[in-house]
Amino acid sequence: MALLDVRNLSIDILTAQGKIRVIDKATLNIVDGSIHGLVGESGSGKSLIAKAILGVHNENWIVTADRMFLGNIDLLKLSSKERRKVMGKEIAIIFQNPRSYLDPSKKIFDQMREVLPEGKSKIHFLNKIVSKSTHKQIIKELLHKVGVQNDQEVVRNYPHELSEGICQKVMIAMAIANNPRLLIADEPTTSMEAVTQAQIFRLLYKLNQLHNTTILLLSNNFGSISNLSDYISLIYCGQTVESGSYKQVLNSPMHPYTQAMIKTILNYDENLDHKSQLYTLPGSIPPANQLPIGCRLGPRCPKAQRTCVTNPTAVNYKGHVIRCHFPTLDEK
Amino acid sequence: MLINNEFNEEKIQSPQQYIWSIFKSKNIAVVSMWAVVALILIAIFCQYIMPYPPALQHPDMLLLPPYWVDGSNPAHLLGTDDLGRDTFSRLLKGIQLTLTGALLITVAISLLGLIIGSTAALLKGVKASIVHHLLDALLTIPTLLTALILIVLFGMSFENSLLAVSLSLLPQFIRGIYNCIETELNKQYVVALRLDGSTNLRLLRYGILPNIIEPIVTLLNRIFTMAVLEITTLGFLGFGANLEEIELGALIAKNLDLIYISPYLVLFPGLAIFMIIIIFNIFAEGIRHAVIEGED
Amino acid sequence: MFNYLIRRLYLLCITSIILTIIAFSIQHLTVGNTLDSNVFSQYLDYLISISQGELGVSALDNQPILKTALIAFISTLELCFFAFIFASIIGVPLGILAGLERNRGIDYSIMSIALIGLALPVFWVAIIFTMLPNLTGWVMPIDGNISVIYEVPMVTGIMLIDSLLVSEQYQLSAFYNHLVHIVLPATVLAIFLISEIIRLTRHSITMIMRSNYIKAAHTKGFSRPQIVYRHVLKNAIPPIIHQLRLQISTIISFAMAIEIVFSYQGAGMWLFVSIQQGDYLALSTAILIISGFILILSIIVDLLLVLISPTKRKVLYADQ
Repeated sequence: MALLDVRNLSIDILTAQGKIRVIDKATLNIVDGSIHGLVGESGSGKSLIAKAILGVHNENWIVTADRMFLGNIDLLKLSSKERRKVMGKEIAIIFQNPRSYLDPSKKIFDQMREVLPEGKSKIHFLNKIVSKSTHKQIIKELLHKVGVQNDQEVVRNYPHELSEGICQKVMIAMAIANNPRLLIADEPTTSMEAVTQAQIFRLLYKLNQLHNTTILLLSNNFGSISNLSDYISLIYCGQTVESGSYKQVLNSPMHPYTQAMIKTILNYDENLDHKSQLYTLPGSIPPANQLPIGCRLGPRCPKAQRTCVTNPTAVNYKGHVIRCHFPTLDEK
Repeated sequence: MLINNEFNEEKIQSPQQYIWSIFKSKNIAVVSMWAVVALILIAIFCQYIMPYPPALQHPDMLLLPPYWVDGSNPAHLLGTDDLGRDTFSRLLKGIQLTLTGALLITVAISLLGLIIGSTAALLKGVKASIVHHLLDALLTIPTLLTALILIVLFGMSFENSLLAVSLSLLPQFIRGIYNCIETELNKQYVVALRLDGSTNLRLLRYGILPNIIEPIVTLLNRIFTMAVLEITTLGFLGFGANLEEIELGALIAKNLDLIYISPYLVLFPGLAIFMIIIIFNIFAEGIRHAVIEGED
Repeated sequence: MFNYLIRRLYLLCITSIILTIIAFSIQHLTVGNTLDSNVFSQYLDYLISISQGELGVSALDNQPILKTALIAFISTLELCFFAFIFASIIGVPLGILAGLERNRGIDYSIMSIALIGLALPVFWVAIIFTMLPNLTGWVMPIDGNISVIYEVPMVTGIMLIDSLLVSEQYQLSAFYNHLVHIVLPATVLAIFLISEIIRLTRHSITMIMRSNYIKAAHTKGFSRPQIVYRHVLKNAIPPIIHQLRLQISTIISFAMAIEIVFSYQGAGMWLFVSIQQGDYLALSTAILIISGFILILSIIVDLLLVLISPTKRKVLYADQ
């Protein structure tokens, strides 16, 4: 069953040079209880999709979608107030650079306390005193759950006194405080060292397995999340190019972009020639104000033909959705 | 409407063009720009616009009200004062003196301040700390007090009041520039430029200056506003103007006795000061917004 | 923290020495000195006399100039204090509103008010205000600090307290009279201060509203009042105070100009009269008193900011 069903989500940004369509008809179907990887190069619009789902976009964005359902709640029909309520309860998000997402002038304890389920209702004066010790206990448990051992010390600190890794763990602890149904992780491990990265990923995996939290994992690195995810969507310049289950995408990639991405994953058993060039697509990502028409991969695509100047429609092969005029279908 | 058409190469604009295109798209900013141009033209061609010489007395037409009030004479648009001098001409002359004074001060301060401020920011060690403390000390003296002191030292005249105002505003501007450059110096791209072996001058010209346009515009706007206010204040207190040199503040002071007989004589110069400041502020704000949006 | 305190005090020492040098040279240039000893020993003598609190005698009334100056300056501070309270009450909420509703109608109207407040020359507004009682028919005094019928003896030097101390003689009427005298000048000063505070507050609030942790708070499902109350205010206030600290000298400047129009017996009026009558000793005294006050106040504000704002403390640690 689909937990989050987004169809034909488009985002236009108004700039001084006119309207730029940064997300072009993205479709996302996240299965309940799975880890869904959303992979795209930096600037391809992953974070924009996450923000549009959450509804925390700037004023100069125009967000349109045919369908945006969370479970059976239609997110498009909610007023911003109701939506905020839903977001607070059902969806949580963790960001890259977690430290900047924590209030610099409040201690971790106070910040975590705010997101606790009781903390959101109006705290009465008496209630406040009584609940402090229970809150302490809950926060301690939460921090232990995400693998912070010295909780006493962390809780007393300000964000700038903690490392990025600890801050990210605190963010995750705050995110899971309400047992959300969907956790969006927006490149949670950029600018972290490898050990911390592994810890965070293991933590997310554990959350998914133990609490059945659905996770939408955004990353720019195909290799690092591909073995974690159940489903993978690839996005290029704001167009979803291919999505399907891990097996479908990895074993029988149909879209040229996916094939290129898979080739970029280094495998040591492959016998690469000495000093041979590693595989990349020719060219580089076009800037947002000079996107090619039609299929945006067009100019870089090894299979591009004349029809590629028109926008391909999404085709569904048993849950394996691709948008390409010339997909590789030989494995069928 | 999508802009990804086949001619999109033409859309790549230089930063200046981009800022200009944003600026152009804001009506109020463009209007204020033309108003600024008009004010400057008035200041330059004041001699030719004035209907009468500002000191010419019309003994038969004393204390006339402006043309829309009963008992006025259409020959004197904004009426006359107690000696029959044409208010409109005197107002134009006042605008000319005040505006030129303020603009001169702003230009002088911006040149001097940029040089001193950037040198101070790039200095290190004892020299830097001397400059720092000197600025700290100078900044604690209220500008009006500085101006008063300098006028007492140099004597009372319009030129000296301009000098006094510029010297009293200079520390503020230097400190502002100093702080801007100081924050920029801590950024990574400056380190990269330094590692490239750029000299301090090159670092300033190509590295730092393009990135501090917005705070500089704000500072200049502030300096201009304060300059207008202080020139007129000094003039009002009687420290600035000679008999012929009636800038707007002095004009108010001279007509103060007549305020109950003909309040227009006090109202108009005040409104003129107000308009000058408003127009320049909106203009500067327009530039600032265009620069900020251009940087995004 | 202790290190920081020491460093600030060290700065205070150096800056005040520079100030005395400036004051000394001004006195030297304006008043002149008949003694033929060298400048350095004169400066030492000057320092000694400052430390003993003897700044000389006014040429106008043969009173010690320090006392006259202090009384005048305290009156100015009273005026600034009232204006500041008034302006904060009005300016801060408006600024917050403008910052939250950035680029909407309400923001534009508030910012227009602020722009008008900044562009109006204070002395001109003061003149208009002196006309107000006449035009509207209110009974409102427009000159001096207090009516001459009240004889308020000097006890603390602060007129507000002194006028309360004579209450057995006049009941509270002396106090009220003083308040009424202060209302108009304070309002004029407040007009400038309000626009300044609105600008600073709006800028600060906008900066905070753009920051990542506010976006994070949005995603946590807080309502906007909650976010403002819990996250924005605490982070927005310190920069406002810091900026206002830099404006103290401008505020005092404007207060002095307003005093002259209202012939309010403050530092501005005293300086004006002294200069017009050729008592230039007032200039160096004014520098010592006013700048000394601003210097000490700004250091106190700095320390306060470090105490209340953890982000400031962060910068401090990084320095060491």
